[in-house]
Amino acid sequence: MNNRPSPKLAIHRREFLGLSALGLGISLVGARAAAAAPSVASPDNVAILYDPVKCVGCKACQMACKRWNKLPNESTDPLGIYESPRDLSAITWNIIKLRRTEVGWHFFNYQCMHCTDAACVEVCPTRALFHDPLGFVALDRQKCNGCGYCTQFCPYGVPHLQVANLLTGEAKSAKCTFCQDRLWSGIGGPSCAEVCPVGALVWGKRGDLLDRARARVAELQAQGLNARIYGENEAGGLRRLSILLGEPEEYGLPSVPKTPAFARAWQRIIQPLGNVAFGAALLGILGTFLFVRRKIRMEEVK
Amino acid sequence: MTVQLKGRPEVIQIQWIPKYTTLERAAHWIHTATFVPLAITGMILYFPFLEPLAQGEAGLFIRLVHRVAAVIFGLLPIVYFIFEPRRLLMNIREFLPNKEDLGWLKAAPAYYLLGRHEAMPPQGRFNAGEKMNGLVMIVAWAVFGITGVPMWFGKGVIPPEIFRWLVVFHDLAMIVSVCMFLVHLYLAVAHPLMWAGLVSMRFGVTSAEYAMVHHAKWYYGPKRAMEIWEAKKREAAHKGGH
Ligand code: HEM
Ligand code: SF4
Repeated sequence: MNNRPSPKLAIHRREFLGLSALGLGISLVGARAAAAAPSVASPDNVAILYDPVKCVGCKACQMACKRWNKLPNESTDPLGIYESPRDLSAITWNIIKLRRTEVGWHFFNYQCMHCTDAACVEVCPTRALFHDPLGFVALDRQKCNGCGYCTQFCPYGVPHLQVANLLTGEAKSAKCTFCQDRLWSGIGGPSCAEVCPVGALVWGKRGDLLDRARARVAELQAQGLNARIYGENEAGGLRRLSILLGEPEEYGLPSVPKTPAFARAWQRIIQPLGNVAFGAALLGILGTFLFVRRKIRMEEVK
Repeated sequence: MTVQLKGRPEVIQIQWIPKYTTLERAAHWIHTATFVPLAITGMILYFPFLEPLAQGEAGLFIRLVHRVAAVIFGLLPIVYFIFEPRRLLMNIREFLPNKEDLGWLKAAPAYYLLGRHEAMPPQGRFNAGEKMNGLVMIVAWAVFGITGVPMWFGKGVIPPEIFRWLVVFHDLAMIVSVCMFLVHLYLAVAHPLMWAGLVSMRFGVTSAEYAMVHHAKWYYGPKRAMEIWEAKKREAAHKGGH
């Protein structure tokens, strides 16, 4: 029956080489090997520095953010004492909250930290969240598909979904973008820092701001305050630097943000291992197919 | 039923015996028809190189397809359980692994690669590989449901610490089940020894002669099947000795 010339060698060399290349390709495709190095916080990056000792809690930053980014009002919790709204949301990207630390009650400004090792960028499947060369973490709402992974991985709880339909999952992510459009078009710096009347929020080159922050911390320490910089090395270095008067935890900030490492393990270890599994499965199947095709005749219908 | 093979003069009698119910076959194909789109739409979020398909409107659409398919995929086994609970439990019981499955594992290379039937110890209605496929798919179904439903509705409700693990386990279930699916697909459509599987899944029956050889424990019962197999082995050893 089987009278086509059947070579003794089960798999041709060419087929074998082709197969190996295919398997290797499949296992490498998708592994983000090329993107493995997180961007480095350069002193030339743009950054914001926040000094809570200077802050008078006027909320001009919060208002300027709303106005520039055309964010609607949010109904206020009537029991909220000073914090209104209570927290960051899809339409509130910058907020002043009251914090109680060892020096007593004082204000603190929350916004995106613009991490170097940004968990949101790592898990975003669309690259809607990306590192802008200027240094901040930008958001392209056109590319966002509303999956919401960023909202679950950010160590600071910054991005929020603007949900259009819970059932279909139609949504868009929203967060502080460093006023990316202002920077891209050369209008100026982020509106919050531009508007601050007391210099509690300032923007500039990260290297310069770090020098300023160090000098300021020395000054505050000389006054007997437990001052420190937050953001110099956290998550690879933040572009939103803060001066704290106590432990980061007193501000609801993690001393060591853990989610960037989790996000990296998922995206760069577990997923590539999965790709190796797909590659091995396909390679095994193709090899078996070619081998068996020569070895076993189609079993006759009995 | 009689069959005439191409290029052969004689007509062959085939005796068919029932293997699956109509609901089982329908459920199998609906499962396939939802699993494949689920895997494809999920992989669009998973593979960085498919990123363009995940962006914006296209991404919204693939996520919607994933959800529609997920509802059917998730409810299907429940429908099966409601209408044929005994069959479902019987199948699950048959899928459970036991010591004899090691015999299948040892003989698998000779059987699947070289086509040596006689190397394979008698198998039940499902051979050990088919059992593994069944179990993996059942476990994956549960993991997809347990992780997928909170991924759908749980953002902002469940703690993010838990959500992060759900996505990872959803991915792991996908990796394992898609590998299993690829092997299953090959064996079902392209492996010469496995031709009867596709027939059974389409028409609900299998050939008696096929069952005698490949599912002897089911056809003859475990005891008789072992006796026949031992006898054949003795005979082969005897022949080999001369
Ligand atoms: C009960 C069934 C399932 C449910 C409820 C479900 C639900 C979901 C949800 C809600 C997401 C997140 C994206 C979004 O919000 O739209 C997702 C992602 C995903 N699903 Fe499913 N799913 C199910 C079954 C499956 C199956 C059968 C597969 C593959 C064989 C699969 C593979 C994936 C993958 C690969 C992702 C992307 C994860 C990533 O970003 O790496 N899912 N699923
Ligand atoms: S603070 Fe959150 S949203 Fe901002 S860059 Fe870091 S991970 Fe992304």
